[in-house]
Amino acid sequence: MARSFDLIGRRRWWYALSLAVILPGLISLYVHHVRDHHALNWGVDFTGGNALELRITQPFTVGDIRQVMDRFGLGDAIIQKSGETELFIRTRPLTQAQTNAIIEAVRTRFPSTVMLREDTVGPEIGAELRNVAILGVAIGLVLQVIFISIRFRSVRFAIAADIALLHDLLVVIGAFALTQREVNSSFLAVLLTVAGYSINDTIVIFDRIRENLSQRTREPFEHLVNRSVLEALVRSINTAMTAVLAIGAVYVFGGETIRDVAFGLVVSIITGGYSSIFNASPILVDWHNWAERRKAAQAGMPVGRPARSAELPGEAARVAGDGERTATPVPPAAVPTAPRAGGPRRRRGGRRRR
Amino acid sequence: MRVSNSVRLLGVILVAVAAFLVAFQPVRLEGATPVFQPLRLHINLGLDLQGGSHIVLQAQPTPRTPVTPDAVDGVVRVIRNRVDQLGVSEPVITRQGRDRILVELPGIQNPQRAIELIGKTALLEFVDTGTRSLPQGAEWVGPDTVVLPDKTRLALPKKVILTGADLSDAQVTFDQFGRPEVGFTFRSSAAKTFEDYTTKNVGKYLTIVLDNRVISSPVINSPIPGGKGVIEGGFTLDSARDLAVLLRAGALPLPVKVVENRTVGPLLGRDSIDRSLRAGYIAVVLVGLFMLLYYRFPGFLADLALGVYTLILFALLTLLGATLTLPGIAGFILSLGVAVDANVIIFEKVKEELRAHKTLRAAVSAGWSRAIVTIFDSNTTTLIGAAVLLWLGTGPVRGFAVTLILGILTSIFTAIVVTRVLVDLALETRLAGWIQRIGALGGRRVPAPAAAPAGPGSAGE
Repeated sequence: MARSFDLIGRRRWWYALSLAVILPGLISLYVHHVRDHHALNWGVDFTGGNALELRITQPFTVGDIRQVMDRFGLGDAIIQKSGETELFIRTRPLTQAQTNAIIEAVRTRFPSTVMLREDTVGPEIGAELRNVAILGVAIGLVLQVIFISIRFRSVRFAIAADIALLHDLLVVIGAFALTQREVNSSFLAVLLTVAGYSINDTIVIFDRIRENLSQRTREPFEHLVNRSVLEALVRSINTAMTAVLAIGAVYVFGGETIRDVAFGLVVSIITGGYSSIFNASPILVDWHNWAERRKAAQAGMPVGRPARSAELPGEAARVAGDGERTATPVPPAAVPTAPRAGGPRRRRGGRRRR
Repeated sequence: MRVSNSVRLLGVILVAVAAFLVAFQPVRLEGATPVFQPLRLHINLGLDLQGGSHIVLQAQPTPRTPVTPDAVDGVVRVIRNRVDQLGVSEPVITRQGRDRILVELPGIQNPQRAIELIGKTALLEFVDTGTRSLPQGAEWVGPDTVVLPDKTRLALPKKVILTGADLSDAQVTFDQFGRPEVGFTFRSSAAKTFEDYTTKNVGKYLTIVLDNRVISSPVINSPIPGGKGVIEGGFTLDSARDLAVLLRAGALPLPVKVVENRTVGPLLGRDSIDRSLRAGYIAVVLVGLFMLLYYRFPGFLADLALGVYTLILFALLTLLGATLTLPGIAGFILSLGVAVDANVIIFEKVKEELRAHKTLRAAVSAGWSRAIVTIFDSNTTTLIGAAVLLWLGTGPVRGFAVTLILGILTSIFTAIVVTRVLVDLALETRLAGWIQRIGALGGRRVPAPAAAPAGPGSAGE
């Protein structure tokens, strides 16, 4: 067969693209942190406070509502108008009597006022939720890493999947920082879905690598990964496409309340699909090459340190030819230390110039 | 595998029909006679979908009463009494942890009034204020300090004669001008105390205090026998009714604070159901179309399996009495993606086996057994995440986790069993050639993603 698209070989470009997506988000986090003292637009779920959503089916302006709020000594309330009729008012925690008085006052001015939604969250609840969110994400991640390590008999796969996941989490958090969408308790659901989906997607690709490794071809690892990724590509694209279609429908038609969740899910599906192909698999290759170089460097040392080739199933059969494009397999003992260690580095320099 | 395909098909059809009956309940048994009723999903709707209030109260210790399990149980009892008086159907009132009480009021029409009513301590006291009449709104800020409405402080010990606990009944009554007031009746022992006290203190003031705030301060004109009396306090009909409810239900043994309140008005609830259902339909149609256009005949079989999947999931949610919330619907739609993914993985593997020049039957069989490993590994990680959500999350987040977990389990079942039965059945007929074509999809050896028919994909925006 003819040489297929060398996706893995262009991995430096993919890493760069990932950075280019993540950096604006990180910068935005920092800028918002410095300027507004909150990196993300934390909702009342986390900060504690009162959120009131009203529908007023007659013309009104934010200024009208602010006048009403000023009378209650709530001049610092955040007042937003959404669409023609919806009104959001966010304040510090209020008692029910105070909230009722506010709704009454707005209704006196605009008789068509209807209460749509009211959330009051005490600061203690907000703090608890924050702790639960951090704990939940941490526990979920640890369990997933343990599972992958067992199923793939390799920590390498687990860590590569995790780096891809970290990438996805950063992308999603960055997206929420950039758009300043509200981060509420559903955000926890989004984060854990990213985790689930990202790893799910990575595993489907790794599974293909595992399958191909078990066939014990004498193919170089880099080629094998490249082939595996390409073979799994159609599935990845089709799956991401259907998932985005489905959740996209929710985003477009699902209404204001669920839109933030849907947004987070769409971003996570796209980034999850990207990272498993363009980050997780190349990282495996880079790690493998690095380990090979180290092993080659140690080959010149006294015996007694066994090469840890059992790290990847089926790897032992192919140790020799890996990492290099030279087709001729060379027995490891015969490889002089210096050229092998220098080999990949030379290649890297060459690629940068293309 | 030895069972014939038609028997397996029959099994799948039976499961689908059973799921349909459970989820939509088209037939109801009235005694022994079956009654047909309009089709409707019988899943519990969360408060965010049907409208209602989710309230968490926290008991506050007072210098006199610490927060003990008994006292909190007492609070739960009183709140249940009050909620019963409000006429809310199927309320949930439970203790949560050491000092919290969860109150859920589904479908409530006037949530603000209800919450104000529930959170009130409602300690009614009949206080001997001697020769002093106190204006309405005066408040005891300590055991013997009163702050008048004009902010002047007054040293006046609170000599409590009787409390709301001594009442046996309270009702809204009207005075001779038709103004609402609250009539009350004392228990027999308290009635005696009341009669004795009023006999000895004619001409003095008996101040009626609710939660340390003066409602009225009437003068005792004559001894009051029989243990009956009225509270006048310039009530509106609503406020008189509320006070009567509070007095009948009794005072909370501990004051409570609302630490969390999530209320969805009836209007938004209706709105959310309509919109999310529409989003759900559109998602199902788009996903089905994609499978059909990309995989053709096998895609159609997968769509059938997807239909079975939806029925089974609804039936499971109904059977387990799970509550469908707004994020739960998002979870359902996400699991739809998982269900499709399982089919995509299977079809892609079958496609490869066909290209490796295997016979159709061998390719299907090999493709399936290879796909099962992938599907198991990839979905377990998602399940782990969802299980953590279920364990730690509350309310809506939990609803998301429940539908996601059930959805993943169901999708594994339908992809591995249902689609397989349909495909095997097709293999026995002339339709086999249609499945064979899966091998020719998406170009030759090198899968070229750009060549994928992007028809439905472009509608994804």
